[in-house]
Amino acid sequence: MRVSEDTRLRRSLPRLPIALLRLLLPRAERDEVLADLTAEYAEHAARAGRPQARRWLWRQAIHSALPLLGWSWWRGWTGFEPRANAYRPGGSMLRNLFADARYAARRLRARPVYTLVAVLTLGLGIGGTAAVYGIARPLMFEPLPYANASEVGMFWMPGWWTEEEFLYLRGNFPGFRNVAAYRPGDATLRQGDAPARLIPGITASSELFDVLGARPFIGRGFHEGDDAQGAEPVALISYGLWQELGGQRSIIGSRLMLDGTPQTVIGVMPRGFWFPDPSIRIWHTKPLDPQGRNGSYTFVGRVAPGADVHDMGPQIQRLTEIIGDRFQYHVGADKTQNAVITPLREALVGSMRPALVATFAAMGLILLIACANVAALMLGQVEGRTSELAVRSALGATRGRLMQQLVVEAVLVGIGAGLLGAALAAAGYRLLAEALPIGAWGENASFGWSIFAAAPVVAIVAVVLVLLVPAASLWRGDLRGTLTRARTGGIQGRGGRLERGLVVAEVALAMLIASAAALLVRSVANLYAIDPGITTNGIAVVDVTSSPQMEFAPRLQKVEELVRSLGSLQGVRSVGAAMKIPLRGGGDSFGVTVEGHPEAANTFTYFRIVTRDYFQTMGIELRDGRTFDGSDQPIAPDDSTTEMAVVVNEAFVKKYFPGENPIGRRIGDGFTSPQRIVGVVSDVKEAALTDDAAPVRYYLAGQAPWFGNLATFVLRTARPGDAAAVLDAARRTVRNVAPEFAVQGTTTMERVLDTAVGPARQIMSLLSLLSALALVLGAVGIYGVISHFAARRKRDWAIRVALGLPGSRVVRQIVGQGAALVGVGIVVGAVGAVLLARLLASFLFGVGTLDPLAFAAASVALLLIGVAAASIPARRAGTVDPALVMREE
Amino acid sequence: MTESPSMTESPFAPLGVLEEQIVVAVLRTRGEAYGMQARREIERVTGRELSIGAVYATLDRLESKGLLTSSRVEEDGASRRLFDVTPEGARALADTRAMRERLWHGVNVRELLALARA
Repeated sequence: MRVSEDTRLRRSLPRLPIALLRLLLPRAERDEVLADLTAEYAEHAARAGRPQARRWLWRQAIHSALPLLGWSWWRGWTGFEPRANAYRPGGSMLRNLFADARYAARRLRARPVYTLVAVLTLGLGIGGTAAVYGIARPLMFEPLPYANASEVGMFWMPGWWTEEEFLYLRGNFPGFRNVAAYRPGDATLRQGDAPARLIPGITASSELFDVLGARPFIGRGFHEGDDAQGAEPVALISYGLWQELGGQRSIIGSRLMLDGTPQTVIGVMPRGFWFPDPSIRIWHTKPLDPQGRNGSYTFVGRVAPGADVHDMGPQIQRLTEIIGDRFQYHVGADKTQNAVITPLREALVGSMRPALVATFAAMGLILLIACANVAALMLGQVEGRTSELAVRSALGATRGRLMQQLVVEAVLVGIGAGLLGAALAAAGYRLLAEALPIGAWGENASFGWSIFAAAPVVAIVAVVLVLLVPAASLWRGDLRGTLTRARTGGIQGRGGRLERGLVVAEVALAMLIASAAALLVRSVANLYAIDPGITTNGIAVVDVTSSPQMEFAPRLQKVEELVRSLGSLQGVRSVGAAMKIPLRGGGDSFGVTVEGHPEAANTFTYFRIVTRDYFQTMGIELRDGRTFDGSDQPIAPDDSTTEMAVVVNEAFVKKYFPGENPIGRRIGDGFTSPQRIVGVVSDVKEAALTDDAAPVRYYLAGQAPWFGNLATFVLRTARPGDAAAVLDAARRTVRNVAPEFAVQGTTTMERVLDTAVGPARQIMSLLSLLSALALVLGAVGIYGVISHFAARRKRDWAIRVALGLPGSRVVRQIVGQGAALVGVGIVVGAVGAVLLARLLASFLFGVGTLDPLAFAAASVALLLIGVAAASIPARRAGTVDPALVMREE
Repeated sequence: MTESPSMTESPFAPLGVLEEQIVVAVLRTRGEAYGMQARREIERVTGRELSIGAVYATLDRLESKGLLTSSRVEEDGASRRLFDVTPEGARALADTRAMRERLWHGVNVRELLALARA
């Protein structure tokens, strides 16, 4: 009876709290404590019933958990073992873990160089990967801030459509539910007496937010008719701008002075919304003109229900027929050709993908190299400890227990590296974001917790990778056999192959990065070798904008006043102004007529309005005739009889006057006044660095009856190094002399050239840095492995030297070993490098993805570094005294 | 005149509240001072529930400081860890008590109780 009562009680014992206590209690005390608890449980059950007893046991387990955990940790850490337990078997599993942690920490502390190298290399890899992930995530993995973005697509020829085309097609785009047109619309904002400042923005048709499926956070989106002729312009602002303007809800309905005209704020977009890139802070309307031929619009549309943005062939076909019937297109600007709809994500962020993927890949490679490095170091440690491990194994330590120690050591290194990586990622993500060619995304990169959170995840992956090889070595190895071999001088030490494999892998990975960097270095060098046709050093650049509503005459007067004032700044030799400077995109282009060449009709040339000293300031050389001078008098806007002076470039002459003297010839179109060529200047790279020379006409500001609201002032300094130094003074001058102008930005011509060289330059800098890192890591790996190799065969070498082998031969053999490993690594890496180079194809200029020079340069660099790294331990081995070694053994 | 602290006061005094309770409990259950027994003794006297984990962790800490000692005894075929107070532990406890008394010296208990009732 009593027995069955007992059994019933035991059965009713809740299992979970007992299991929890069993896990936490040290083995030596586990049974007696659990027996006591069970007995007391029985008492409670008999006295107050089982539910009460069960609750009591749960309370015991829960309240005991923390003290027991602390106890386990404390025992593991201090190594305290009560006398009473001297002959009882082991502690709790946790306690072993803590003891191992303590042991590992002590071992790591005892070898600071190993620990430092391991934590630093892994930390760099982890930090870099986490930072790139943090930057790439919003661009590559996060959904766009638009509803069902997969239904939205961008039309072909972005930035080329006109208001006329849009209004003609509006409401009748075949296959689309809704299409919006937008174009760049930066606006100057004036508040009180403060100088005007530039707000990056776009002007859009009223459909924009319907197409995007985005709603304002407060207020309303555009309504139909907001962009109609005569309608009052309205604006939506970004969350960030709203905050800057005070963050009051009362902003809705208030008016902002944008571009000199009041615009009503109708809404604030939610935080995190962007379109078409994060730099845009204002979306406003402008009355659309059915005759407007300003071709700078981009169309974005949401497809009709059932249609697929990837498969719009028939609808696009229909659309091109409609526009083909209605509009005349010139060759090269024919919108009926190559018509295609690009999915929104692809259109907005697709161009950044190669750069991000390449950087991400490079960072991942660095991480892999670091892992291989630490794995090799750890493998070396395992090998170095074979005797110790063998003795412990002989004394009864299980393989699992030995493995646990290895894991604990790797985890400790991983924790250190993870912390370092998280700190590096947090500190360096902005630097990295700005170094990457991702435009506004880089400038607006904000710290997200994802960067921080990514670090531990990457660290875990790294620890697992690091552990693979040494764990495999430990698992496969015959520890007890090692013990006997160690004493008899085992020449063919175990694990050498694995270690060598790791070095080959490291070199191969380093080869990937180094060859990619070499390709980019070559291609960037090619880009810089191009002569842009202008002087790039010693020229300061100031971009200003004024309200489009400002009258021509006062605007021109201000521009001329500014040229004079800027010219009188200290250290400035000459100043010119233009509506667009070279290397910054095409700019205005108009049809041209050439007297005596009727075939020239229907051709276009670039069209520039500049001030008198522009050519001299920019270093554009005169080839024939003259540039503008004092004899060119201003022409009143309504005077259509006085002749205008025109300067053309060599490409213009080549195209329209081959073999003829162009000076004195008359050309036309663009303006009503007659135009006569007075001079020829050298070609410059107008739109992009890699473009061929294009025909250009230059007109003198003041003779041409027009000057746009965007102007660029170029200031040539007396000393080439002073360009950046005059920018502050130039800014102040603009503010004082022309407060109605906003300074859009200041830079130097060298920076303009850098920007024109484009993303390849930024990626090159980044990859060069990473490849330097990869080379250093590779060298550390080679050094470590060759050191081990040399140390393991110390006896072997000693015997040979004792038998008469010269020390130099020993050095040569060891270095040869290192070089062989590097050689294999280079070959393996070259194969992968070919694949990686394809990823970079869009950044390459003047080199193929299989450029032999780049591959050779990377190989030679790796080989040299490998030999140098191997020669240090080799020299040590070659100069050792054989007698000493033999005695040691 | 107040008592001045003796020069040879135990470095472990004053003991923490739980430490003090446990050393006292070991003293009271001397001869059968198992962890569980000490825990039940404290619960019985204070009327508060105490977790076995806290008791064992404290017992271990006290032993590592040399205030308690433990040995194995066989009881009903099971081996159990039995605790006893060392001379150092006894001194620490006595000093803890002396310190408390010095602290209480001059406090009028009657007034205190009256205050507590108010």
